[in-house]
Amino acid sequence: MENCRILNRIVEINIANVKYTDIELCGNTCFVGTNNYGKTSLQRAILFFYSANSRGLGIAQSQKTFDEHYFRYENSYLVYEVATEDSAFCVVVYRHNKLVFRFIDAPYNPDFFLNANDEAMKIKELIGNLEKKGIFVSNQIDTFERYRNIIYGTETDKTLSKFHLLKGNEKYQNIPKSITNVFLSSKSSIDSRFIKDFIANSLTTETSSIKLEQVERQLRQFNEKYSDIESYLKKESQQLIELIDKKYDQVHMLKGSQMEVADRLGSSLRFAESQNEAIRDAAKAKEEELEKLTEEHETFKINIEEKQKDVREEIGFYDRTIRDAHKKLKVYKESNIEEAVEKHSEREKLQVELNIARREYESLTSNVKSIELKYSSLIEQLRNDKAAYVNKINTRTSEIFNHYNELQLIQKNEYNKKDSDLKFKRDEAFNEAQAEVTAKQIEFNELKSEEKVIRNTRFYENEVKQLETELSELRAITYKNKSERAIKQNMIQTLQREWEAAELKLKTSLSNHVNKINTEIIKVKTEIKEIESKLNVQHDAFYGFLEKNVKDWHLTIGKVVNEELLFRTDLTPEVKADVASNLYGISLELGNVEIISKSIEEYQHEKNERLVQIRDLEDSLNQFQVSNNEEKMLAADKYGKHLGELKEDVKVVTYALELSEKREKKIVAELDEWRVKASDEVEQSLSGNRQRLNLIEEELSILNKKKNAILNEFNIQFEKLKEFNEERLADFKSRQETEISELEVEKKNQVKEYESKEEELSKEKETNFKSKGVDSKQLKGVDERVKELTDALKEIEQYSQIVSDYLKDKRETFDKLPDLIQKKEEFVKTANDLTAQLEETGGKFNLKRMELNKQKRAFDQELIEFNQGINFYSNNFRDTPVHNKYADIIDRAEPKRTNYKIMELCTQLLKNDSHFNEEYGAFQRYVNEFAGKFRIDNHFNFLIRNDATQGEYERFAQNLRSFINENKIELSIAETATQIGLVTDSIATKVKELSGQKEKIQHIITLIAEDFKKAEFEESKLIEFIKIKIEESDNKVYKLLKKVEEFREEHGLVYNEGLFNSDFAPGQKREISGRAVKLLEQLRSAIKEQDQEEIRLQDLFELKFNIKEGMNETGWTHKIDSIGSTGTDILVKAIIYITLLHVFIKESSHRSSSDFKVHCIIDEVGQISAHYLRELLKFAKNRNIMMINGLPNKSGLESHYRYTYQFRREEGGNVRIFPSIVTEVEA
Amino acid sequence: MEELQGLDLNLPKQTHDIFAIMARGHFISSNGSKDNMGRLYDIINNPENYDRLQAYFNVIRYNIERGNNYFYFAKVGEANSIIEKKLETFERYIDIIDLFASMDNKITIGSRFRPGEISEECNANVRLKQKLQKIPMYRSETMVNKVRDICDLMARDSFLELEDEQSESYKVLDAYTYLMDIINAIAIYEETGSSDESKGSGLILN
Repeated sequence: MENCRILNRIVEINIANVKYTDIELCGNTCFVGTNNYGKTSLQRAILFFYSANSRGLGIAQSQKTFDEHYFRYENSYLVYEVATEDSAFCVVVYRHNKLVFRFIDAPYNPDFFLNANDEAMKIKELIGNLEKKGIFVSNQIDTFERYRNIIYGTETDKTLSKFHLLKGNEKYQNIPKSITNVFLSSKSSIDSRFIKDFIANSLTTETSSIKLEQVERQLRQFNEKYSDIESYLKKESQQLIELIDKKYDQVHMLKGSQMEVADRLGSSLRFAESQNEAIRDAAKAKEEELEKLTEEHETFKINIEEKQKDVREEIGFYDRTIRDAHKKLKVYKESNIEEAVEKHSEREKLQVELNIARREYESLTSNVKSIELKYSSLIEQLRNDKAAYVNKINTRTSEIFNHYNELQLIQKNEYNKKDSDLKFKRDEAFNEAQAEVTAKQIEFNELKSEEKVIRNTRFYENEVKQLETELSELRAITYKNKSERAIKQNMIQTLQREWEAAELKLKTSLSNHVNKINTEIIKVKTEIKEIESKLNVQHDAFYGFLEKNVKDWHLTIGKVVNEELLFRTDLTPEVKADVASNLYGISLELGNVEIISKSIEEYQHEKNERLVQIRDLEDSLNQFQVSNNEEKMLAADKYGKHLGELKEDVKVVTYALELSEKREKKIVAELDEWRVKASDEVEQSLSGNRQRLNLIEEELSILNKKKNAILNEFNIQFEKLKEFNEERLADFKSRQETEISELEVEKKNQVKEYESKEEELSKEKETNFKSKGVDSKQLKGVDERVKELTDALKEIEQYSQIVSDYLKDKRETFDKLPDLIQKKEEFVKTANDLTAQLEETGGKFNLKRMELNKQKRAFDQELIEFNQGINFYSNNFRDTPVHNKYADIIDRAEPKRTNYKIMELCTQLLKNDSHFNEEYGAFQRYVNEFAGKFRIDNHFNFLIRNDATQGEYERFAQNLRSFINENKIELSIAETATQIGLVTDSIATKVKELSGQKEKIQHIITLIAEDFKKAEFEESKLIEFIKIKIEESDNKVYKLLKKVEEFREEHGLVYNEGLFNSDFAPGQKREISGRAVKLLEQLRSAIKEQDQEEIRLQDLFELKFNIKEGMNETGWTHKIDSIGSTGTDILVKAIIYITLLHVFIKESSHRSSSDFKVHCIIDEVGQISAHYLRELLKFAKNRNIMMINGLPNKSGLESHYRYTYQFRREEGGNVRIFPSIVTEVEA
Repeated sequence: MEELQGLDLNLPKQTHDIFAIMARGHFISSNGSKDNMGRLYDIINNPENYDRLQAYFNVIRYNIERGNNYFYFAKVGEANSIIEKKLETFERYIDIIDLFASMDNKITIGSRFRPGEISEECNANVRLKQKLQKIPMYRSETMVNKVRDICDLMARDSFLELEDEQSESYKVLDAYTYLMDIINAIAIYEETGSSDESKGSGLILN
């Protein structure tokens, strides 16, 4: 047994296809066996001891997993025996759902595991047995990590800490990694990339790489957002936004008005349908009412007219009577009736005087009676003759007179008859004409009153009133809306100012915070630089000297030396043994003095702490930035939403105002229209009236003319008749006068004769009387008086008839004349009253009739309009797409009377729809063009499908509007700006993290180079030297990543400002942002181009070898395909691996732990020559490394190993492994 | 090109890409996203770059023409025969544009559509179907394939862009305006004599 710690033995019990095998490993070991016999499986089992990682054993994915392949049974065990300085302990691996470990504090003993029948026990039994025997068995170790901690001596549990193979430090993970890497590398050529991988893999964990996919994703996300914002900020996009906004409003308004019209149409239609019958009935009722009214009026009119007729007749009678009376009076006056009446009143008196005169005469002649008698009889006889003659003449005269009078009378009668006939005819014609004129006059008057009525009628009063009310309401609402808009606009301004102030505050606080953090970071970085400078010089400084030459110097010099002195390189220290334990000859008790100096780890730790501090500061900055953004977002959310709502409200109110303005204009126009219509109606009615009036006037004038013509005609006839009559009468009169005058002449002559005879007789008588003494003078006087009186009486007698007529007329007529006039006037008044009554009633009737007619006409008109509208709707509208579009609204509308005609509404809808379609087309085009400017999956979600509905287009515009209102672009810019900071930061961190390990690589390479130098090849002179050096990586992506990191270092955290032209950032910041964007873009295309999954540690540098074997020198190269023979290549490769392993083990194990050995498992070394193999084993041995190799068959090489095992396949596929009997030549 | 690039004109570094696209008779549209087209548009649209590029390309007898949000090359002094040939090639676009303009959902700049949608609409509408059938595209057996071929042709001529191969979504680029402008510039005159014969020759391109 070795006097050091080493994996001493591996025992497989029911592992894979090996039932049992016990392999010793405490020296170089060789497995000999044909391919596929299980050599590699065994080597993997050994590797598992070191790596305890079932995945990193080089098992292909297509193969069964380690657990499944090795641990097929519940009593499958892998037992590792580890020799310690004084004894040994075992590690048992078995499967308990997963692979678990137990430590047994005893050397391996088959009896622990196998029962009497040589069958493996179950774990419980096994543990039970061991415990019975008082052997310590650890609890089950469930994790590989913990197992490794125990094996590599970092376990804190004291009961387990003794089960270590070596005491590793914090980097102990490199040991299993290195061993694994050596095992897994089986290429024959030596490629520096592989060595790089080896070193890198040993140093890094799986996660310590930059996953380019992730970076690319971040970059892509950033880039996409950036390009989205760029597209948004373009002038064309902004113009399109404006156009969309404007068009949306227009479209919205048009749609609204269309919907309104559709609603009106629906209402009108429903109303028309529901009111059709009612209107028909109403029209009928109006007609009946009209008929009744007319009938009543006619009856009334007939009554009045009859009364008028009676009154007119009365008036005519009185008129005639009065006229006749006046005429008679005139005739009487012409006949000097008054004188006649006066004379007639003296008749009685004259008669008495005559009688007295006659008696006086008789008394005078009583003495001479005989003479008297003789002469009286003679005279009497003569007088009688004369009287007879006169009578005869008079008779003839009167006969002539009468005859002509009769003729005149006849003529007069005839004239009168003709005259009255003519008058009758005239009156008839005149009356007829007059009746016509009167009728026309009545009509004329009616029309005049109708006109008066029309002028006083307010047509469409309801409509006008309704519109006026609506207008006043609308104006009130407009006023309210205007004030509301003003208030809201004020609020918007206030909110905007508040928002701006909040943003400014946030921006300032961010910038202050950034400055503060950056100052702190700079400070910490300076500290780091100081530490780094110390670390860099420590090798050559006093510190390095002390580390190399003075053991535990920290406890002595470390307590008294100035830290600055430790890192000075100009002190040239030397060890002087005699003063080694004192200070310039003075001994000091330093037990209680604190150590000032720090170990490299402490410096490293301090540096790491500061790095962490920077990280924390940056994190805090990021957090602050994030929270700042969040606050910004909150502010945007708070203000933006509110503002958006307010702006939306303002828009709505503005829209409402626009609508009301339009509505107002419309109402005003409608009002005007109605007024014009009303005046038109008046004019129309009046014009009808006027026409009729004119017509009637004309007719009246014609009738009057006709009347006059009739009158003239009759007057002419009257004249003619009169003339003829007068002519006849004059003729009669002249003939009468002629004849009478002739008779008078004759009579006169005869009377003269008789009077001369009488005078002769009288003279004779007088002579006789004288002779007889009688006074003849007195007698003559009496006689003359008698004659005078007789004549006077005769004259009176002549007028007696006319006087009696006059008196009769006077009594009967003339005295009653005032009464007649009075009565006539009364009748005239009654007639006037009746006319007025008729006129008034006529006016009222006309008015009512007009009203009724108007109403009826309105009903009829409405009915016609309804029917026309419904017909138009059915024939010209219902089948159009416009109808389908608004069918819902039309169908759902409430029946309501509107001021619009169905036909007009249909036409308007159709007309507007074409305008709407035009506008909508433009709106869609703008939306499409705008959305097309963005990527299909842009983060603003500006996307519209080609077959999107109108609703979707409108939602798009609405969303766009809220986007603008809520100023989301600013948020997006802020987010993107944060993102660029985060992306840059994330890349920089990753690069830094990865680059941080570059130092370790440098360190390892230095160690390797040194180890190569130490290699003793002198004996064989086979390999003169192996040199290794490190160079900068030429990986393009890494270079760019590095640039990003440098950029980040140079400019700190790039944030927020100047990313887009819209920002008012100073030019410098904009330039920095521009560079950052450009850099990230370059990186993204490089990642795409390079198509690499990740940037690992090995991508950070290039390794170059220079190997000289014999006379062959490779020169500095990445890849050494062939140095010499294959054997040489394998040898060189193995040497390099062993060197690497050695370096890593040395680096990863605790300084105090040196008494341990590990195995280096390299398969397939069959091609190496014995000489080389010996060299190799020796090389390994010098580095406390035992080799485990595989050989395909026995070739003599096995003789160089301490243990050789052979593999044989037995029946049933089981493999038996047994030791080969060989003697170790030398190792 | 290489010779020219030697000239120190302070050209943008994308000049080669610009030339590569436009020299093939293709357009660079502002709303294109493939091959950094939007970026290239911005570069040409930058007045400084534009002047430089124009001067540069003029040397090789190319003239950059500016449309509404797109650019293309016009060859200076091109032979009439070539122009005629181009016009002949253009003829089939008349039918295509006619079809596109007759769709219910009109295809305009920025529209996104799938050939399937168009063929479905054509299938449902006899008029559109006839229009589609009228377009001479060989080897297109089904309607959808024909539309695909049309889209492919237009994408190749840089009027459309296949935005998403998986969903087969095309986007209409700004260069589409060029087609519309040309179509709008066509004046049709009727010859008094014959009717059918004049149709083919009745196109005048202003």
